[in-house]
Amino acid sequence: MFRLFPILILLCFVFPAAGLAKVVDETEIDQKVREIAKTLRCTVCQTENIWESGAPLAHQMRQAVRERVIQGQSTEEIRAYFHSRYGDYIMMEPPKQGINWLIWLAPFLLLFGGGVLLWREVKGWVMKTPAPQPPPTLDETSRRRIEQELHQDK
Amino acid sequence: MTRTTQITILVVLLALLSLFYQGLWGDPRHIPPVLVDTRAPVFEGPDVESGEPLSSEQYKGKVIVVNFWASWCQECKVEHENLLRLYDEFKDHPEFVMVGINYQDEIPKARAYLERYGSSFPHMQDVKGALAIDFGVYGVPETFVIDKQGIIRHKWIGPIVDDVYMNLTQNVLTPLLSDPTSTLRQGSGPMASPSIRPERSGSEVEGRSGQST
Repeated sequence: MFRLFPILILLCFVFPAAGLAKVVDETEIDQKVREIAKTLRCTVCQTENIWESGAPLAHQMRQAVRERVIQGQSTEEIRAYFHSRYGDYIMMEPPKQGINWLIWLAPFLLLFGGGVLLWREVKGWVMKTPAPQPPPTLDETSRRRIEQELHQDK
Repeated sequence: MTRTTQITILVVLLALLSLFYQGLWGDPRHIPPVLVDTRAPVFEGPDVESGEPLSSEQYKGKVIVVNFWASWCQECKVEHENLLRLYDEFKDHPEFVMVGINYQDEIPKARAYLERYGSSFPHMQDVKGALAIDFGVYGVPETFVIDKQGIIRHKWIGPIVDDVYMNLTQNVLTPLLSDPTSTLRQGSGPMASPSIRPERSGSEVEGRSGQST
């Protein structure tokens, strides 16, 4: 009987470990679902992804993502499925192709263009501004008069 | 800065602003559908009323009208009478099939809805909304027309009423049902025949095939 005791103790450690392994596995699925869901736009919301949206359609989509993750599909396969159904619109980050390049490049182009314009304008103002003149020199007569007045005040 | 430069900058800025405005606040109804002119997904599920299994496979080779609806959807009630009318108009055609897909609904409520408003064609259950995602549905009602080759030829977001009904029956269904060559068009680029020429109005979307309008 006493010989079985260490085995029983060992089993106490083994079974919780098995349970823990399952929990870890589910967490990984949750994590992958979250990662993918955050990249997909809720198609009935304004600029919200399906992970954060409370809309019923977003809930369905999260479920669809989960089912596909459980089936073992890769992130790219799942994203490609949604893209095939809803097009670029469903992507939180529009694919870098075609007209979409405008979205990606416009802010930088605007910044660059704005910077060039600002530089040109400032340069124009600087050019138009007359160079600072040296203060007029005091002639001898004026200097004497000032000194004389200052002495009078004392 | 010259006046021409100023005007150019203003025009570019306004163009960019209008693009961003359209992107941020645009109506999803006007987003070009990616599924039109592609093969329709296979759809199957239990019949809302009888519970018997239904599948798109049993409708192969026919022109199928697929309508997504729900008992909680107000616009679906608006179009329901027209859907019954549409089915009545084409039901005698041997190559016409119409299927309703009941989207995210409670089955007793869906059955009560059909009992109250009438039912003449089969309705498939899509309780989880998986079929709706397969069809790239944004909300209900949405209607698709699939040709004899199983290619989605037409999509409409919103109720089938007034001009939409006329357009669907006259410019989409009638040509697809009457033109036997329509079965050969899939994958052959733009349709040669001007048969499918829905008017570009409201939230209607059509395949690239219809761009000959």
